[in-house]
Amino acid sequence: MASTQKDILKVVESTKILSPSAAGLLEVASRENHDLRDIVQVIKCDAALSAKTLKLVNSAAFALQSRVSNIDRAISYIGENYLVSLAMNEAAGMIYDCDLAGYEGREGELWDHNLLTALASKKVAEFSKESINGNVAFTCGLLHDLGKAIISSFLEGTPAEVLESLERGEVHDYASAEEKILGMDHTQAGHALAEHWQLPEPIPSAIRFHHEPHQADKEYHALVYAVHLGDMIAMMTGKGTGADAMRYQLDPDYIDLIDLNEDDLAMIILEIDNEFSKLQKSMTING
Amino acid sequence: MVHIALPDSSINSEKAQSQPGYFADTGIPALIREMMALGCTGGPKQMIAKIAGGSNVMDPRNVFSIGKRNVLAVKKVLWKYGVSPRAEEVGGTLSRTVTVSAKNGAVTLSSPGKNNWTL
Repeated sequence: MASTQKDILKVVESTKILSPSAAGLLEVASRENHDLRDIVQVIKCDAALSAKTLKLVNSAAFALQSRVSNIDRAISYIGENYLVSLAMNEAAGMIYDCDLAGYEGREGELWDHNLLTALASKKVAEFSKESINGNVAFTCGLLHDLGKAIISSFLEGTPAEVLESLERGEVHDYASAEEKILGMDHTQAGHALAEHWQLPEPIPSAIRFHHEPHQADKEYHALVYAVHLGDMIAMMTGKGTGADAMRYQLDPDYIDLIDLNEDDLAMIILEIDNEFSKLQKSMTING
Repeated sequence: MVHIALPDSSINSEKAQSQPGYFADTGIPALIREMMALGCTGGPKQMIAKIAGGSNVMDPRNVFSIGKRNVLAVKKVLWKYGVSPRAEEVGGTLSRTVTVSAKNGAVTLSSPGKNNWTL
């Protein structure tokens, strides 16, 4: 098992580092107090990302009446969440497009799940009893499950055995089964990737503790709970990542931090579904 | 076949108009109307209904029990039409993909990590 852990960490270390603009964007987007002007400064330094941004704003997805050629205006139309999604899709597309064979998932499912979690986490953040920056919740959601791409190949052939083990009650959730098989679960692998990429807090904490939000540093508690619930909502709407879908525990202590009722949840599901379709459409146009 | 996401359309009537299948209370009537328009002239009581899905996460407050509420809402609408489901596989924590054979009506369920099975 120790050698498997070493092999997983070798995969992390061999993962291509993020482009300076993607890293810069995540650095800005993870700050509690940031605004769109900070994002503009990063995008302007990357000619390719600026060009993609202009292409996106002038695409059918935004249906603007006149052509936008000024990057500042384009960014104000598109907004931070689209830009972070665009930048991450560009910078880590190879990881998001992983076929998730170890989960018997399909190519594209990891991106869809992370994107839907990002949208849901942002919506859940609106119901937090403590103030959370919804855009930070979005960014954390977009990165929360990247560890699955790292460990997927090490899990090939295991889903049937894991599901049986879960049904027999030998493990309490899918992440525990991963740890039992590999000595490391996807949250730990994702955290190692976040360190390799030198991502700033709270992103590494959200990745590491999105299934055990109570373990996160108090400072990030509400945010990590928002990502925890966002992840659950994405799975509930059918956007999982294969055999592990719905095979995690909901931490009931969310009620201390997030004031959500069943009508709010139904509204969140409806809203993220619409937003997801729009984002997907624009990404396809730009791809 | 209709894929229900939420139990009640009252939260967004516009969506219920454009995508009735999204909600149980508008999706089942829309499915029945379509089937009758396509030749099921015997009406709902002549139709065979099968239900699959409605998986849940464990939540003591039941806020996250959307799957359970979807199943109840579907059964309630079917009951109004006098239709009893011929078969069902609902609840639990299993995510299911459903396929209906247009040739013979066979309903097949699949889930990653499991072999396909028939409902």
